[in-house]
Amino acid sequence: MSRSLGFAGRLLLRHLRGGELNVLLWALTLAVATVSSIALFADRLQRAIVEESGAFLAADQVLTSPDPVPQAWLDQAERLGLRQARGVRFASMSFAGSAMQLTAVAAYGAGYPLKGELKVSAEPFGAEEQVAQGPEPGTAWAEARLLALLGIGVGDQLELGAARLRITRVLVGEPDLGGDYFSVGPRLLMHLDDLAATQVVQPGSRVEYRYLFAAAPDRLRDYGDWLRTRLTPVQRWIGLKEGRPPLATAVGRAEQFLLLGGSLGVLLCGAAVALAARRFSEDQLDAVAVMKSFGATSGQVLRIYLALLLYLGTLAVIIGELLGLLLQHLVIWSLGDALPKQLPAAGWLPWSIGALTGFLCLAAFALPPLLRLRALSPLRVLRRDAISAPISTTLSHAAALLGMMALLRWYGGSWRLTLLLLLGLGVAAAVSALFSWLLLRGGRRLGMQAGNLWRLALAGLQRRARSNYLQVLVFSVVLMLLLIIIVVRTALIDEWRRQLPEGAPNHFALNIAPQSVEPLRTFFASRQIAAAVIYPVARGRITAINGESPLAAAPPDQTQPENYGVDREINLSWSTELPTGNRIIAGVWGQSVAGAEVTVSLEQEFASRHGLGLGDRLTLRIGETELLARVGTLRRVEWDSMQPNFYLLFQPDGMERFPHTYLTSFYLPPERKLLLNELLRAFPSTSVIEVDALIRQIQRIVSQVTQAINLVLLLILLSGLLVLVASVRASMEERFLENGLLRALGASRRLILGSLLAEFSLLGAAAGLLAVVGAELALWGLYREIFRIAPTWHPLLWLLAPPLGALLVGGTGLLVSRRVVSTPPMQVLREYG
Amino acid sequence: MTGKLILEARQLSRSVTLPGATLTILDGVDLQVEQGQSLAIIGASGSGKSTLLGLLAGLDEPTQGTVWLDGVEITALDEEARARLRAQRVGFVFQSFQLLHGLTALENVMLPAELNGLADPRQQALEWLTRVGLAGRINHYPRQLSGGEQQRVAIARAFASRPKLLFADEPTGNLDTVTAGAVIDLLFELNRSAGTTLILVTHDHALAERCDRRIELRAGAVVNH
Repeated sequence: MSRSLGFAGRLLLRHLRGGELNVLLWALTLAVATVSSIALFADRLQRAIVEESGAFLAADQVLTSPDPVPQAWLDQAERLGLRQARGVRFASMSFAGSAMQLTAVAAYGAGYPLKGELKVSAEPFGAEEQVAQGPEPGTAWAEARLLALLGIGVGDQLELGAARLRITRVLVGEPDLGGDYFSVGPRLLMHLDDLAATQVVQPGSRVEYRYLFAAAPDRLRDYGDWLRTRLTPVQRWIGLKEGRPPLATAVGRAEQFLLLGGSLGVLLCGAAVALAARRFSEDQLDAVAVMKSFGATSGQVLRIYLALLLYLGTLAVIIGELLGLLLQHLVIWSLGDALPKQLPAAGWLPWSIGALTGFLCLAAFALPPLLRLRALSPLRVLRRDAISAPISTTLSHAAALLGMMALLRWYGGSWRLTLLLLLGLGVAAAVSALFSWLLLRGGRRLGMQAGNLWRLALAGLQRRARSNYLQVLVFSVVLMLLLIIIVVRTALIDEWRRQLPEGAPNHFALNIAPQSVEPLRTFFASRQIAAAVIYPVARGRITAINGESPLAAAPPDQTQPENYGVDREINLSWSTELPTGNRIIAGVWGQSVAGAEVTVSLEQEFASRHGLGLGDRLTLRIGETELLARVGTLRRVEWDSMQPNFYLLFQPDGMERFPHTYLTSFYLPPERKLLLNELLRAFPSTSVIEVDALIRQIQRIVSQVTQAINLVLLLILLSGLLVLVASVRASMEERFLENGLLRALGASRRLILGSLLAEFSLLGAAAGLLAVVGAELALWGLYREIFRIAPTWHPLLWLLAPPLGALLVGGTGLLVSRRVVSTPPMQVLREYG
Repeated sequence: MTGKLILEARQLSRSVTLPGATLTILDGVDLQVEQGQSLAIIGASGSGKSTLLGLLAGLDEPTQGTVWLDGVEITALDEEARARLRAQRVGFVFQSFQLLHGLTALENVMLPAELNGLADPRQQALEWLTRVGLAGRINHYPRQLSGGEQQRVAIARAFASRPKLLFADEPTGNLDTVTAGAVIDLLFELNRSAGTTLILVTHDHALAERCDRRIELRAGAVVNH
């Protein structure tokens, strides 16, 4: 055994020195480098994003509940090492002298906010400062408009229930002022210790208990898993995804792209490994026959080559991971300011992903062809055709397919993505087979007439139809994957730019009184502020769906936390126009449904969460009035567009009779932020929510991810080129001999180079065409299933891919095979004859 | 014959089944070779010479008949056991040299000893390369050597494993007359000094004349002892 291991080591060194293993080693190394650099970068970026986005929730995760949660839950969080803070939100009247105002109160204990900062000022509309902690007990911070409405200032006291609180600061911004944008009134932040003294919160009061947690993602996941089985339908476990949908969508798509890129990289490198290993195993046929004739047993051959692969894999993993680390540093360095200053260190997972990919690639793609060597007959030393019973190619193909599936599934994390990519590959393979068959039949007549460059090229194509099948397949798969990654990259970046264009609304104004709507329009117009449509907003609660209690009507598995609108009030609006960014997917906009007071349009996911379809009856309570509505249309809404959006949008008929305020969004560049003070002074009852920080964060993530995507693209291009080189090299021996012969017979360098270029270009053009077919199919699926972008066709691809293929494959072919003409014919014939 | 028998074949036949027909390549060959003898197997192309060599050396299995190699009935062994036997007792020289092109001359000669775990393969290989006159070219790759030099490396490799039997399949088939003569002189000289038994397949009658014995094959049968 040890003899074989030692011998395998020496054999590896000799082959490395001799260059036979170069392509295999580099294919593997690149696979490991691609995967580990993408994984490393994605992991660190992900950690950074989670770290930063915590600032928008005031925590990493928040647990909300209408009642206090059992102490055991908090003890469990303590045991898991989670940092905690807790608070209570409720609405209550606040008084100052004879003035009173319904106020949205948040009372928080020590630690709040766990992430992010509070923004305060010493006087209304004064200079902003950031603080890391809430007010001291006995004091409170109030929004400027609350002070205006109550007619008090900083330093005065207000009454909240039975308690008196001194206002010490003006509250400008809270990190977790989100999700529930449309609060009932101006905000007041106080200390949790003072809550009991107010005597406001009594059993049965409408109160939201908030438990804030911060910790490493894996600990939070553990706690979340533990918690989920215990949550009641009215309790919610909120993370970035639930709390900040626009941010989560951007991060989610970026992650998907990185995973897709990584998967494609693995596929390409797998193909390179497979080709290189096949070539290597063919090279080894003679060597193994000689070894066997000198007495090596099958077991010994197996051990030698297994050990060789193991050494090779280890070497590739070490070089690949170092290269991956280097690449990742290079990207981070080149990104400079676009990245968070302190990028957290990567975890152990990306490293093991790189190593495992290397060995899985070897096992799936390189092992099967080398296993065949074991069964080789030693008689080959006398008769070259003696290969003995070869292991069926079905087995090695099945191994490669299974390996590919395992890698894709594991790396992309989704069966859907895996099957989509395999389907695309399958189509490309089938069409390539058809193409080669046509070539084999159609090209027969052309014969081998060495006088004309094109005829020579066509004859070459036709003669090698069988091996060409494999080459066209490989070329078209490489081109297909390249097309996919380029198109998806462009589409994603466009999609982001389109959703958040320069000047996208970055502030919401709400609680606008009906009589303030026209003055506000004038205010915006006179100051050249671009504002979106001003929508009416009423608050209501669903009391029945088709005459039944809404919780009973919901599908059984969806009675869990997100029953927004059923157990609490939601915002309703009405409009004659369909808001921008909304798309009708069922029903006809503007048509009233017979037999109901009003017709309502539902957001698609809201509808499916409640099991609602066209024509269903909804009973709502708005204020003291009941309203019967029928579902007229279903809409798809772009939540990340930063425009006012609503789950329930009514036809205006008679809706004006319900108590309502107005809502709009507008864009303010940073240098005009002071206008907010002016606006709030002019419209004291209006609240403004600033989402510019959130938008900046999303834009920063987009630019980070764009850079990462460019890195992925570069790596994929490199891998693709490597596959092309491996594939061209695989057919080199045959070409060498043939062209050596032709040159010996007097063909000019020009003719041979020209025919080689023509042959490879034709192959490339054909592969380009096939690649478009596969790519369009795969893209269609990817858009629909993974990225949730509307699929489109790409006519430009059909035009560009064939010439691109011809250029890429022709260039690579010529580069790799130029030795065919630079080597003297005599030497060619001696070496390969 | 009075010496110790090292190789014996009895009623050795080999046929292949083709669609609709059976093709007989070897037909009931009987053969005995004594230790230290040299035997030439001659015959035209397609007469079954190489097939016979493959069966005698245990590289292939006969359809019928038995082969004893150094007292072991190799036709009763499986490929694994035959491989172990070849490792200890058999060496080869081939028409197309069969050097591994990724390995240097020295590494090619070391290969059998390394595979079989013999002591000090490098020293042994150096000695044999010196004996075939290639001491100065040990680090050259096969493609950097002439045909005659490549065959001398192959001869050094064959002797380096100290075989009792050396099988040579058309050893001069790829060489010009002058080079062929030199290679054959070397082969016979080393064979004599090492006391090896030499079984040689050739269609060159002059080369065959230098062997102790000759048999001629025609259509798979021995026609002339």
